[in-house]
Amino acid sequence: MNDRLPFLLICRDLVRIYPDGDVHALRGVSLEVFEGESIAITGPSGCGKTTLLHMLGGLDHPTSGTVDYRSKDLRRWNLDVYRAREIGFVFQSFHLLPTLSALENVQIPMFEAPWPRRERRRRAERLLQDVGMSHRAHQSPTRLSVGERQRVAIARALANEPSTLLADEPTGNLDSVNQAEILALLERLRRERGLSLIMVTHSTDVASACDRVVKMRDGQVVVES
Amino acid sequence: MRFSTIIARNLFRRGVRSALTVLGLGVGVSAVVSLLGIAWGFENSFLTIYESKGIDLVVVKAGVGDRLTSNLDATLESRIKLIPGVKDAVGTLMDVVSFEDANLSSVLMNGWQAESLLFRGLRIRQGRALRPDEGRVAMLGRVLAMNLGKKVGDPLAISGESYDVIGIYESESLFENGGLIVPLKELQRRMGREGAVSGFVVSARATGLTDVEALARTIEKNVAGVAAAPARDFVQGDNQIRLVKSMAWATSIVAMILGSVGVLNTMLMTVFERTREIGVLRALGWRRTRVMSLVLGESIALGLTGSVLGSAMGYLGVKALAQTPMASIFIAADLPPKVLLIGILLGLCLSLGGGFYPALRAASLEPSEALRHE
Repeated sequence: MNDRLPFLLICRDLVRIYPDGDVHALRGVSLEVFEGESIAITGPSGCGKTTLLHMLGGLDHPTSGTVDYRSKDLRRWNLDVYRAREIGFVFQSFHLLPTLSALENVQIPMFEAPWPRRERRRRAERLLQDVGMSHRAHQSPTRLSVGERQRVAIARALANEPSTLLADEPTGNLDSVNQAEILALLERLRRERGLSLIMVTHSTDVASACDRVVKMRDGQVVVES
Repeated sequence: MRFSTIIARNLFRRGVRSALTVLGLGVGVSAVVSLLGIAWGFENSFLTIYESKGIDLVVVKAGVGDRLTSNLDATLESRIKLIPGVKDAVGTLMDVVSFEDANLSSVLMNGWQAESLLFRGLRIRQGRALRPDEGRVAMLGRVLAMNLGKKVGDPLAISGESYDVIGIYESESLFENGGLIVPLKELQRRMGREGAVSGFVVSARATGLTDVEALARTIEKNVAGVAAAPARDFVQGDNQIRLVKSMAWATSIVAMILGSVGVLNTMLMTVFERTREIGVLRALGWRRTRVMSLVLGESIALGLTGSVLGSAMGYLGVKALAQTPMASIFIAADLPPKVLLIGILLGLCLSLGGGFYPALRAASLEPSEALRHE
């Protein structure tokens, strides 16, 4: 795969030291992500997985080092536009807005896209259909099972047709049945849409389903396979 | 889904807190609306007295801010009438009396000359107007007659002296409706101020404001020791009206500050509690300005609701107050629309003021830190 596809994301010597100076979350991480591939980032808690994911998603700034997206340094990107249009985030705790229905939650990122209100709704309905949730579109997240919530969260991450999905422990709160279903869904969507998928995970099952596995320890990449 | 849907759902999510904030703001706005409305009504009612009679100038003793304490020789009237540009002039005397049995205090008692320009604009509803050389007779304003339960032919005791009620009138001015008129000479006798008046009202031949001001200067030049002012300036410069307006504004400012602090507190708590949610919105691509719009939108929605509620409370409060005998002679039941508009605009400004800092704070949250917030 690496021989066939161009680089999507490249990070070089990423260092992240938090302002108090005591925590070195990343100590010179370099990583290349190809278009359409899936990568699992694994490692023990506190090893810097989520920090790396946030750097790739433009949520946090490195103390030193660079992240290039489509050969352009993220510092030269408008990060709001980057997050809105190029990246889709999936969180372990889903982070759906409890006051909105599933259908409305999916429309949240679309406020930053140029689609009019009716188009936003149509797109959200299609996305919910894609993740098998159209029958629960008008339900509040509090009435959905955890598996259903994660499906809605995945639909939301795809709202603006991003090229990359960044998932932070997407199956961390799910039982084994739901985990398998969500993994299958992510894999299907990745294939159908040509997405790159970068997942932070503790699960070896999840990691083994990805094209590549990056193991981290103490803020560094220790194994890449 | 509209952006406003998210705003509305967020407010209903914390319904009790939103309702209490709206109520707090509403009380502040209602204080502003009612106090300013009463103060403006006070001023308007005074001004109407002069405007309804075609009075252009008020002449009082120089250096006196309160007309009740002004004291001038009544014979100055003939000198003022001789000044070119003066169409008519008449002296008036004014006193304040109480009717304890009816729980009425500070009732204006006017001493007027019969058949003078002062009777212009009065509609006689019952009985008749004053006639020259009458003694202890009184005309009652409609509201006073109602509060005292008097009709034409009834006796009226004023501080132990009995008067015959000869007429009941209606005026465009609330103060006149809540007051009474006795012959000038009778009031001079009562007050022990024979040959004296509080001041003169002047009807000018000229109509333009510049001409009226020029006439005022001419009167001051020709009659030593008097101050002449256009009716509007006189009303606006009146000590009592200025005091009422100052108190209204001072109380209103305190109420507005409290309302604004209420919104600030609510919105700050909201932003603090929703830090992670704001981080999610930022991670999903929302710009800082959109996050700011969300918080400001919630704040404005609270402000608008509070303003409308406050204006309604103020309007109904003043209406209820105006029904009481004590207040009905001072307070107009209807608030001018501009006061209600000021109330709504102030409420909006307060909510914007109270919501701005929380909105700025929400917009400045770093997404990564916000997502880690517990």
